[in-house]
Amino acid sequence: MTQLVLQSAVSGLLVGGMYGLVALGLALAFGVLKVLNVAHGELVMLGGYAAFLIFTERGIDPLLSMPLVFVVLAFIGVVLYQLLFRFVVRFDIEKRIKNSLLISFGLVLILQAIAVLLFTGDDRSIVTGYSSAAWVVGMVRIPWVRLSGLVVAVIAAVALEWLLTRTTFGHAVRGTAEDWSLASLAGVDVRRVYMIAFAISAGLAGLAGSMVSLGYSVNPTIGLGWTLKALVVIVLAGLGSMRGIVLAGMLLGLIEGLASVWVGGPYRGVVALVVFLVVLSFRPQGLFGRGGAYV
Amino acid sequence: MLKVEHLSVGYDDLQVVWDVSFEVPAGALVAIIGSNGAGKTTTLRAVMNLLPLMGGAITFKDEPIVGTPTHQIVERGLVMIPESRATFASLSVADNLHLGAYTKWARAEKKSAMEGVYEIFPRLAERRTQLAGTLSGGERQMLAIGKALMARPEMLVLDEPSLGLAPMIVEDTFDEIRRIRERGVSVLMVEQHVEMTLELVDYAYVLELGQIVTEGSSRDLMTDSRVREAYLSF
Repeated sequence: MTQLVLQSAVSGLLVGGMYGLVALGLALAFGVLKVLNVAHGELVMLGGYAAFLIFTERGIDPLLSMPLVFVVLAFIGVVLYQLLFRFVVRFDIEKRIKNSLLISFGLVLILQAIAVLLFTGDDRSIVTGYSSAAWVVGMVRIPWVRLSGLVVAVIAAVALEWLLTRTTFGHAVRGTAEDWSLASLAGVDVRRVYMIAFAISAGLAGLAGSMVSLGYSVNPTIGLGWTLKALVVIVLAGLGSMRGIVLAGMLLGLIEGLASVWVGGPYRGVVALVVFLVVLSFRPQGLFGRGGAYV
Repeated sequence: MLKVEHLSVGYDDLQVVWDVSFEVPAGALVAIIGSNGAGKTTTLRAVMNLLPLMGGAITFKDEPIVGTPTHQIVERGLVMIPESRATFASLSVADNLHLGAYTKWARAEKKSAMEGVYEIFPRLAERRTQLAGTLSGGERQMLAIGKALMARPEMLVLDEPSLGLAPMIVEDTFDEIRRIRERGVSVLMVEQHVEMTLELVDYAYVLELGQIVTEGSSRDLMTDSRVREAYLSF
């Protein structure tokens, strides 16, 4: 029993790191552009296929192809921004959220349909030489491919926080997130900040996709599930801390893992949402939210 | 330095500013005075291209700036401090100042500019790691001015610098505006505190219900019977 509990807890933490990684990009786009991109999970899906194709066609390991996948998805992000979200950010904040929901939900359907056409509906995952390798710590098995997802999430969060807090561009991003007109009065090209932030958001979805195709599996419909987990994580964490988002993701994963043992597999999502509601009733700003900060 | 001619601005179908013209010569300290709702803030936002114009022309340093993106207007040396919360609450004092020097032109001199701001406002140096949202109203005003100075402005536009501040801090702020002007920066300010403002500036325009009703040197306006009746208590 102890072994089962420990194993479920560890597996939960590992998948929770992935929730955090998916949530990072979603939180960045929402915090900066005030655009709620529910198609973020579809970008994760596309990133997964990109890593899968690079592996099957060129034989490049997904851990090595991650920078390339990041760039590909960032490029897709720029295209989507120029085609769609550029027009949304002209509205005031409330209208942006509503309009972006409608637009990105349409995008969900379109990207899913394109993925079915291009890749069929089959489950794909990358099988490498180390796919079945694992560390065994005591009674607990830690698969390498899943651990790498958590490691990538932590590195991405730390890198993003460094970018946001230590660089001049990061100051501009945080300023724009708080008050775009004040940022433009400081000389910031707000439109450019929006475009780059959205590109980074999509690039992060690409990294998550790489890790999904390595440790989990990809098919055209995986997107919405990841998006929903990421939304819960963002509300649980609160805006203003990227590390907090990964931690909140791990917490959600841990609760789900433990609930699957103690309450039963089918109820783990329910238990996680109950805990989520309880936490929010005590800390409406989220576990790690900093008042006034958006990214 | 700044010339605004026949400016008309509004929000959607509602016109707020009608055929307003004014001018700020290089090195001058000019005010637009008027009561709440006269269209003062709207006028300034239009100058900075934060609001689209319904009509009129604006030139800065003899170049038209209508339709120029706000950040490029700032880059050309026209810097505005908007009213009240003109700082980034979620950023530290130092990061606010960093962001103030965001333009290419300002970035080159960032280090010495920051030392200069800390010299003028030692309080900001003490609080450099503190979030701007935790500062007092007076300190935030210092930071707003410091941030604007970081941009190395040729002309500074202030929207109601006295708003919501204690009388003593308003006096400090006005003294600071005087010193900024003495360093050769042209200043345009918008104010409701008519008496104090007329003591500070060279020239003023009186805005009522979106139209300039009178203008003149501050000495002339102080003796103008209409201005005295409407705005001054003596």
